[in-house]
Amino acid sequence: MGKGTFTSGTWEEKSDEISFADFKFSVTHHYLVQESTDKEGKDELLEDAIPQSMQDLLCMNNDFPPRAHCLVRWYGLREFVVIAPAAHSDAVLSESKCNLLLSSVSIALGNTGCQVPLFVQIHHKWRRMYVGECQGPGVRTDFEMVHLRKVPNQYTHLSGLLDIFKSKIGCPLTPLPPVSIAIRFTYVLQDWQQYFWPQQPPDIDALVGGEVGGLEFGKLPFGACEDPISELHLATTWPHLTEGIIVDNDVYSDLDPIQAPHWSVRVRKADNPQCLLGDFVTEFFKICRRKESTDEILGRSTFEEEGREIADITHALSKLTEPAPVPIHKLSVSNMVHSAKKKIRKHRGIEESPLNSDVLNTILLFLFPDAASEKPLDGTTSTDSNNPPSEIEDYTLYNQFKSAPSDSLTYKLALCLCMINFYHGGLKGVAHLWQEFVLEMRFRWENNFLIPGLASGPPDLRCCLLHQKLQMLNCCVERKKARDEGKKTSTSDNVINTYPGDAGKAGNHLGPDNLKDTDKEKGEVGKSWDSWSDSEEEFFECLSDTEELKGNGQESGKKGGPKEMANLKPEGRLLQHGKLTLLHNGEPLYIPVTQEPAPMTEDLLEEQSEVLAKLGTSAEGAHLRARMQSACLLSDMESFKAANPGCFLEDFVRWYSPRDYIEEEVIDEKGNVVLRGELSARMKIPSNMWVEAWETAKPIPARRQRRLFDDTREAEKVLHYLAIQKPADLARHLLPCVIHAAVLKIKEEESLENISSVKKIIKQIISHSSKVLHFPNPEDKKLEEIIHQIINVEATIARARSLKAKFGTEKCEQEEEKEDLERFVSCLLEQPEVLVTGAGRGHAGRIIHKLFVNAQRLTESSDEAAAMAPPEEEVKRMGSPEERRQNSLSDFPPPAGRELILRTSVPRPAPYSKALPQRMYSVLTKEDFRLAGAFSSDTSFF
Amino acid sequence: MDEDVLTTLKILIIGESGVGKSSLLLRFTDDTFDPELAATIGVDFKVKTISVDGNKAKLAIWDTAGQERFRTLTPSYYRGAQGVILVYDVTRRDTFVKLDNWLNELETYCTRNDIVNMLVGNKIDKENREVDRNEGLKFARKHSMLFIEASAKTCDGVQCAFEELVEKIIQTPGLWESENQNKGVKLSHREEGHGGGACGGYCSVL
Repeated sequence: MGKGTFTSGTWEEKSDEISFADFKFSVTHHYLVQESTDKEGKDELLEDAIPQSMQDLLCMNNDFPPRAHCLVRWYGLREFVVIAPAAHSDAVLSESKCNLLLSSVSIALGNTGCQVPLFVQIHHKWRRMYVGECQGPGVRTDFEMVHLRKVPNQYTHLSGLLDIFKSKIGCPLTPLPPVSIAIRFTYVLQDWQQYFWPQQPPDIDALVGGEVGGLEFGKLPFGACEDPISELHLATTWPHLTEGIIVDNDVYSDLDPIQAPHWSVRVRKADNPQCLLGDFVTEFFKICRRKESTDEILGRSTFEEEGREIADITHALSKLTEPAPVPIHKLSVSNMVHSAKKKIRKHRGIEESPLNSDVLNTILLFLFPDAASEKPLDGTTSTDSNNPPSEIEDYTLYNQFKSAPSDSLTYKLALCLCMINFYHGGLKGVAHLWQEFVLEMRFRWENNFLIPGLASGPPDLRCCLLHQKLQMLNCCVERKKARDEGKKTSTSDNVINTYPGDAGKAGNHLGPDNLKDTDKEKGEVGKSWDSWSDSEEEFFECLSDTEELKGNGQESGKKGGPKEMANLKPEGRLLQHGKLTLLHNGEPLYIPVTQEPAPMTEDLLEEQSEVLAKLGTSAEGAHLRARMQSACLLSDMESFKAANPGCFLEDFVRWYSPRDYIEEEVIDEKGNVVLRGELSARMKIPSNMWVEAWETAKPIPARRQRRLFDDTREAEKVLHYLAIQKPADLARHLLPCVIHAAVLKIKEEESLENISSVKKIIKQIISHSSKVLHFPNPEDKKLEEIIHQIINVEATIARARSLKAKFGTEKCEQEEEKEDLERFVSCLLEQPEVLVTGAGRGHAGRIIHKLFVNAQRLTESSDEAAAMAPPEEEVKRMGSPEERRQNSLSDFPPPAGRELILRTSVPRPAPYSKALPQRMYSVLTKEDFRLAGAFSSDTSFF
Repeated sequence: MDEDVLTTLKILIIGESGVGKSSLLLRFTDDTFDPELAATIGVDFKVKTISVDGNKAKLAIWDTAGQERFRTLTPSYYRGAQGVILVYDVTRRDTFVKLDNWLNELETYCTRNDIVNMLVGNKIDKENREVDRNEGLKFARKHSMLFIEASAKTCDGVQCAFEELVEKIIQTPGLWESENQNKGVKLSHREEGHGGGACGGYCSVL
């Protein structure tokens, strides 16, 4: 058996239950997994050799394994069977029952020829008392045990234990063959006082008092608030001593831990150290389970009323300030704070609002930095202006987590809510901030201020829904702003620039945004927001709708002959399309200005594709589906017609779907090769939808068409959606962002410490999270799992920091020693037990020694203080010879555990018997003394 | 019929206009060919249940319009798709050359990165081929896509294309399992015992 195999190898167990004498027992076979070839080969070679287990009793390669079954530790076995009462509370207590069991075991072993030792667990389970037997050809080993609470004095040292061992063997030979001895003393260091845990918990009072300075918004805290390493265990080992070399009796001991040839260390981790990041995320996750609505938390229906009030105010303002936009820089935030404060005062009497105004202001300024800037609020998004984060991989993480970019408003909002929840008023604070946020959104929509911190363009479907909604709102603001600006410039030449009313409804509602029941929506919207509904035009710009409609009717009646159309003034041209010319008159072909397609959030999209899918797969369904989606085509055709008076469908197709215009070289009457083009077959199908649409299309430039995207309606939908989100909904929306931020945080912290095992776990967390978070409604259990993993990583990093501080890796000046020390510290985190190179004389060893010396000094000084009035127990302890002896070696406290293994090989029971392995293990801790003996005898003649 | 369906998969068909996307789909779902199939407007939708290796899968197939202008509309349909069929016309090199644009589009709009892509070279029944089979194969390899040449008119390779795609999707772990079918996947984290105490199993001395 190689050195350390017991630790490095895999242990397996198989169990079964049996019933014996009306008692249920479980039989468990424990064994070290070995390569079978090696084992069988040996068995065949040495047929009458003593059983493997007996040989193992003497093997010294696996003494004191760091983690093992107690029987392995006591007897050095690689394979054994345990019979124990099946029920946890059952116990074999009476001696007769023990004997019955043991004799049955003995017979069973004899009958089966089994050479694996068999143990029976007796007494209460917690005492871990086992008796057992192993049989081989003509040999037998009895495993016996003594377990005591108090140690008889004579057994506290080597010489006493040697006496027991010898008397147990009862060897007839003189002189006795030498006994080999292995000793391990374990010292526990609990007192780290001299190394103050570096991290102070943040001062909550200071933050509540309005000082936000301690913790920056947008940053997550990190680290343990208490020392995550609770104890250090130093095991000093003398692996191979021979009787007579050393003295260890009740008055003197040679066993000075500093001189021990082997040192190994393990650390005991604090069970659940309080870690800041973990607490933050956990607390945030708890919001997901709250049922209350914002109103319930902040007081009844504050929101609607407030909304109306604000609407009135802004309405009044816009009346005053039109046509110039509101030029007050700090208006948005302060206005909101002001109004929110007023409202809360109104509804909750003199009670304080959940968030005090300093905190709220700081947060709002953090979220909306443009509110404080000197230049007028304009469409610079932070995604454009910020430096891109150094690591692309980290930046695109939102992609996998379905969260939001780490410099986005959504992400920042998540972090702020997280912090508010933890430090500033919990759920109430969250509800309050959210309310403020929604008000700010409305303010921005109504005043044409773009929302900062959002990438421009249509909603990014890779982000969380809330982020998409905000982007959607921004799209609406952008369109509205463009329209309003267009209106302003056109006022000079066009007097009638607003069109109040709903004539647009006369047109067909086939745009993507019209799939839903528009009338109902309209009704709702109209009811609550009619005070400002003057902005709700359906048309970009409209001269006189009735006139237009009349004209169209005539045109379509006449089938709109291109010749008359050609007389119209071209409108809405974007640019010339290469060198293409119109087929019938050779005028250049212009690409028209077109309406931009409607931006969509994923829920809208889902809705839409559901509607489209519901139409079924029949021909009618397909037709209807095409018709529903033809609004865009129709709009483009109208724009095209307006830009190219007198054009044909062929002209349009050449721009729109060039492959459907087929050109061929033909030879004309004069024999010249000319290009002749025609529409593709599919475009020529009579009354296909393209032809149909072309015929109904009127020459109207995009700016005068009915809007395909009703930004007013969409913005109101978004604002309503935001307003009805409960804190729990909000937390669910933003949890991916919080997890994303937490992962980035542990990544960042890990990079400072460079712990390879943690690196691996972080990778696992990322892949795990991306799987979980991509589903629309992840299970709580899975989310908890992720959070738990994050907490574990945080604790591991905190442990690494604690150990580094304790061992002073930073202070280490010599490069080589520093590297060794760092390696040593990282091993402590990953392995159950770490060997100290050079033992007490090595670099790490010296540090450990010093740690103990310092701790000892502290206890001594406190002992002196206590000596003024020593309690009874103290006196007893001090008076014991054990203690007196220890005082001479006061660098270390008395060992918390002493383990001894005594081994020899002697003939038993008679001098002429075979020499067989004998072993006794003893362990002595503060309240536990155990002797575990394995004594073998030759059964050939007895 | 729905009871023994293993999963519903969302498949998307994309490619330049006129390469035969709708025809391929029609051949697959209805086993017919219509030489005068109207140009698709926006997106169209068809359903078919197929059986691959004894697993029944319901395919919800979204057929998109290839025109440039419609392209602004369709990216939204890329969302949640498990498979994409990218079609070109072997008789028109320009439709093959444009494939890079489509791949870009895919990369930009797909919400997941393990989506299965298949390249289909259509209209192999025609004589005036401009794109060699090897070219298509090379392109597909380069972008780790499945590849097949097909003809919606003669039915060549059509069934095969869809089957292979579905097979590959089903073989890709995590791509198609719905949440509750996903129970088996769990990361193990090593529970660390804290030594000592009354543990009956493996422990250290203290």
